[in-house]
Amino acid sequence: MNTPVIGFAGMTHLGLVSGVSASEKGFSVICFDPDAARVAALVRCELPISEPQLDELVAKNANRLKFTAAATDLSACDVIYVAPDVPTDDSGRSDLGPVNVLLDSVFAAARKDAVIILLSQVPPGFTRGRQRPGRILYYQVETLIFGRAVERALCPERYIVGCTDPAQPLPPAYRAFLSTHDCPILPMRYESAEIAKISINMCLVASLSVANTLAELCENIGADWSEIVPALKLDKRIGRHSYLAPGLGIAGGNLERDLVTVCNFADQYGTDAGVVRAWVANSRHRRDWALRTLYREILSRMDDPVIAVLGLAYKQDTHSVKNSPALALLEHLKPFHVRVFDPVVPASATPNPRCHAAKSELDACDGADVLAVMTPWQQFGRLDPARIAQRLRGKMVLDPYAVLNVTACRAAGLNYLTLGVQS
Amino acid sequence: MITHQNGQSQKPTRVVLFGARGFIGSAIREQIEVQDIPVIALTSAELNLADVAAVGRLVALLKPSDAVVMLAALTPDKGRDIATLMKNLTMMQSVCAAIEKSACAHLVYFSSDAVYDTAVSRVTEDTPASPQDLYGVMHYTREIMARSLVKVPVLVLRPTLIYGSDDTHNSYGPNRFRRAAQNDGKITLFGGGEETRDHVHVDDVAALTVRCLLHQSTGTLNVATGISKSFLKAAELVAKQFNRNIEIISTPRQNPVTHRHYDVTNLIKAFPDFRFIAVEEGIARVHKKAMEAT
Repeated sequence: MNTPVIGFAGMTHLGLVSGVSASEKGFSVICFDPDAARVAALVRCELPISEPQLDELVAKNANRLKFTAAATDLSACDVIYVAPDVPTDDSGRSDLGPVNVLLDSVFAAARKDAVIILLSQVPPGFTRGRQRPGRILYYQVETLIFGRAVERALCPERYIVGCTDPAQPLPPAYRAFLSTHDCPILPMRYESAEIAKISINMCLVASLSVANTLAELCENIGADWSEIVPALKLDKRIGRHSYLAPGLGIAGGNLERDLVTVCNFADQYGTDAGVVRAWVANSRHRRDWALRTLYREILSRMDDPVIAVLGLAYKQDTHSVKNSPALALLEHLKPFHVRVFDPVVPASATPNPRCHAAKSELDACDGADVLAVMTPWQQFGRLDPARIAQRLRGKMVLDPYAVLNVTACRAAGLNYLTLGVQS
Repeated sequence: MITHQNGQSQKPTRVVLFGARGFIGSAIREQIEVQDIPVIALTSAELNLADVAAVGRLVALLKPSDAVVMLAALTPDKGRDIATLMKNLTMMQSVCAAIEKSACAHLVYFSSDAVYDTAVSRVTEDTPASPQDLYGVMHYTREIMARSLVKVPVLVLRPTLIYGSDDTHNSYGPNRFRRAAQNDGKITLFGGGEETRDHVHVDDVAALTVRCLLHQSTGTLNVATGISKSFLKAAELVAKQFNRNIEIISTPRQNPVTHRHYDVTNLIKAFPDFRFIAVEEGIARVHKKAMEAT
């Protein structure tokens, strides 16, 4: 069999990363998006997203990547992934309109023998409802992680494939593509695969909620959550890769979407989703840790404080600010002078008109009464706390993700506060 | 969660205050007057809201541009029975009926934390209301009556334990402790006073009410400091105010220990620069004023 040509439809985060990663595996890839302006930018190597390795891989594999706004180009493909990001609204509900439209155009443009695979995050029942007589449709679970998307696409842990009939072998072209990644392939019925995706995210949220709940208790009792985590990770039932770092709630949009989906289905079928709603409430509660701490330590104690905020993205290595704790904090700091810096996200993304766009981390610290490190960018960890202390007017540092060196911060005379430790 | 209809402070043209003679009403009136906002402060002696004739007088009084603060209620010390409940509902019925006819620009309804289940230890505005007695039922019903008014921006305030000078009630807490210490030289606790509660100074309640009036805030807001202290701690703080030894007496516990903490994140979001009077300072203030009065 010839090496299959792979198509990707929808050049937003998921489709772009997946397509570029497929080209890195040696496949010829046709990347289609109906938005001609977006495609033109991609042709110029101007990427709409920030992901480690992505720019380099686009340049390296330029001869295997074809960006096009013409759906008819997909007729050359043996396997076509339909992979647009599915946007969510403020309440976490998916807008499935764009993926439906794109799927229709792919069905229309693809050859009858082409394998069409839905990669976007869709609710249970969606794929079976899109099946068409005489066409080959699969659903494949994506496990993209913002900031680690390329790594995850190149080295997946496993493939979860939703099928009409899991007992039937996968089409050769599709199997050939998946096999190059040398990981287990788990065929199952459509609905199982769709719920598998949600199940993965629910397990992650459960771990995060445990971490956040107990970290908060540590903050009040005098324990240190960071001392406890290694003990948990050595427990095989929990595992060394488990999500146990406390944080400022769930952000980014994808986990929130699944929480909403589970609650909606539970409401529809009368099943119990009380624990899921508790996770949502806990996430909202922890998101405001920085605001509550700022209020307790600064806002309720001094007039007209200046607040430095490092980080606007919802997590490191991404441009995304979806449900970003930093922006949630800034939303409520409108009466105050705020100096912000993020390596990727511009200050214009903030809802606070009194935000000063600092040129660097230390510029943000200049004259501030308090520093809040709201995104765990690696480069923030390289900052010298002594220099931070020199630039700040006050001594207070809120570092929820423990990015800075705590010992060095305290040695520099800073009053250092983080999650999971009593202040 | 509350929403400010006025992003920037804007004085209402006039405030009509029902329940102005009481402990909280007096404090609110005082702070409204400090803001130089015209206020009509009505007491039950001037207008009996439980009287059906009250509606006509209210209609004649109210202007569509008024902000109305509804504090008037028969408190539990006046009765915890069904008759008291019905009188309280009649009072609210009068106010709602008048507002429906005359309209108003803003209605602030003073509810209570009695709308929450006493067994709930951590309370936010999202905590489901589940009143355990007729007083709580009364407030929750009156909240719903207020919200049923169409076209009127409504704010519901749910204060927790309020203390301060001029408190005529003798509820278990700092005010009763101070009186007991002054009169008897001792403070008697339920059990060891282990229960934690959030005590808010009446001046803070009044200041927050005025801020809500200035911002024409709507929604529901718990009025609490976010810091809970045990009754034992409150008793110790009270005892510290006196120049003589005040005995703090524990008694055999009759009921299990319960705690109550308020997550005041929504209040911080609404007023991030608001500063509460710490309970240590508040108790000292109350004592000083009481001593000056004597």
